[in-house]
Amino acid sequence: MQRAAFRILTRSDVLAGLMFMGVGVFGLWASQGYHVGTAVNMGTGYMPRLLCWMLVVLGAVIGLQGVLANGAVSTDGDASRWRPLVFVPLSILIFAFTIERLGVVIATLLLVAVGAFAGRGLRTLEVAATALVLILFTVAVFVWGLGLTIRIWPEW
Amino acid sequence: MGDFFSNLVLGFGVALTPVNLGFALIGCMVGTLIGVLPGIGPVATVAMLLPLTFYLEPVSGLIMLAGIFYGAQYGGSTTAILVNLPGETSSVVTCIDGHQMAKNGRAGAALATAALGSFFAGCFATVLIALFSPPLARIGQSFGAPEYFSLMTLGLISAVVLAHGSVIKAIAMVILGLLLGLIGTDGHTGGQRFTFGLVTLSDGIGFVPVAIGVFGVGEIIANLVGGAERRSVVQARIKGLWPTREEFRLAWPASVRGTVLGSILGVLPGGGATLSAFAAYALEKKVARDPSRFGKGAIEGVAGPESANNAGAQTSFIPMLTLGLPGNAVMALMIGALTIHGIQPGPQVMTERPNLFWGMVASMWLGNLMLIVINLPLIGMWVQLLRVPYRLLYIAILLFCAIGTYTISNNTVDVILTAVFGVLGYIFIRLGCEPAPMLLGFILGPLMEDNLRRAMRISGGDPMIFVERPISLGLLISAAALLLIVALPAIRSKREAAFQEN
Repeated sequence: MQRAAFRILTRSDVLAGLMFMGVGVFGLWASQGYHVGTAVNMGTGYMPRLLCWMLVVLGAVIGLQGVLANGAVSTDGDASRWRPLVFVPLSILIFAFTIERLGVVIATLLLVAVGAFAGRGLRTLEVAATALVLILFTVAVFVWGLGLTIRIWPEW
Repeated sequence: MGDFFSNLVLGFGVALTPVNLGFALIGCMVGTLIGVLPGIGPVATVAMLLPLTFYLEPVSGLIMLAGIFYGAQYGGSTTAILVNLPGETSSVVTCIDGHQMAKNGRAGAALATAALGSFFAGCFATVLIALFSPPLARIGQSFGAPEYFSLMTLGLISAVVLAHGSVIKAIAMVILGLLLGLIGTDGHTGGQRFTFGLVTLSDGIGFVPVAIGVFGVGEIIANLVGGAERRSVVQARIKGLWPTREEFRLAWPASVRGTVLGSILGVLPGGGATLSAFAAYALEKKVARDPSRFGKGAIEGVAGPESANNAGAQTSFIPMLTLGLPGNAVMALMIGALTIHGIQPGPQVMTERPNLFWGMVASMWLGNLMLIVINLPLIGMWVQLLRVPYRLLYIAILLFCAIGTYTISNNTVDVILTAVFGVLGYIFIRLGCEPAPMLLGFILGPLMEDNLRRAMRISGGDPMIFVERPISLGLLISAAALLLIVALPAIRSKREAAFQEN
């Protein structure tokens, strides 16, 4: 029984409905202090709260459709493939936090190294070669070619 | 008519300058490149290259971005035919018969048909833009705030209706986009919305991190989770690009039908390249004397959809250029690009900046001419590119996503936002929520609120203003009719599904 309930919960429509409702409720909570005003003189909170209520209602309808639908597609079953979901955003975050201080060469190197863990069939030499090519390309095109103000090397 | 020619002369004067020719060429090359490569589409690419156009003249920047969009339609067919993998979503149907033709040893003919069909469609669509934009813009100029609000409502609704997948989820995505667009300082009252005390959020979130995150990074995560794709490039040398007389006889009417259909569907918000291609394939199957040939390498199945997607890609510029109404995600980015250059999108663009408008139109025709050269004689070069494995390609795309957002204003917050929206984009894909309507809502959100507020001021808070004005009423009725039409078959198919269950 619990298993069946879980299967219903992981249907994509049910999850989508919950997501929309969650965003709506969060928005309503966050905007509770905003001045709503009237239709003639709309305050800061008029549109946000209107849209949040619409999201809550739509989310409820979507979720309900998912619960009632027969033979809906379930999204569970591949929890093992978490690597891209972690390493892809992580590589971008690392780039964001290193580009200013360490420069584009090191930031690119780190992005490629961390990003490579997201894929399968990792080959060290291949990744190193990719990093080298990308670093050369980036510096040549973006910094020298287009003259963008990007730091190349770290501040010593 | 005299106007028409003097405008074209003006346009070619702008488009034929060496600088603009150069940017059209770059746009077409990049478009073909990302068209050929599966896993990266025009939305993410246009978003990545947008920051670079800040340093250019607006017209040069737009010429390049436009080239990427229609160039991708050319490139997408190459991969579809040779690898049986759509380089772009608009080439999905080309795989069916195009790849079969390649297996039958007619790869050259299929590629030539796709390119020539696209070229014909591109020329036709360019003329349409030149003919129909001025009258449309004139209508647009009579619009007030209520009409604009209704027009945007119609635009968003039809974008939802024509997108594939669940309509109600798409509506929720539009509203989510509208809500995200509100983040920051309210322009009318100066109040802060959803900024949580963070200074960086008081200017709102930029559309480039949202677009790159959702369409670039989110795609990558989804592709990697989905597992490695296997590619089998048709190895045989492409011999003889020319279709036979019999093939040509079958292909050209299909190409004409596809062009007309694509041109019409492209103008509709939510239309554009992908819808046009699907509709054209269905049409070809319907009018064919022997429908059983489809799926076995029928040349009409290549000519129709490939002409339609290019026509649709180009005519989707019409509502964007004349009314400031984006019909698809790429057009939404174009609106963003105009705004960044300080150009208010709308009907006044054509009269106030004729060189921008006509220069773009002229460059589209030139771009199509370039594309046929890029795609036919140089086809071998693009085939080589397909040998780059995805496990290396995605790293490069990831890097360009990061650099693209960083170069908007050398702000690391934008890069962080890209990562956040990448995860969100993946979640949307997994939950079957189309992200394109969200981007439209995001871009249109502030404009809609502004027009709603002004309309309410005019009417003294009476919402009846939207139905009392005839144009506004007409637009809203069209929106309601659209919703009603999709509601009907949706109910029917649901019932059918329920019956099958028993």
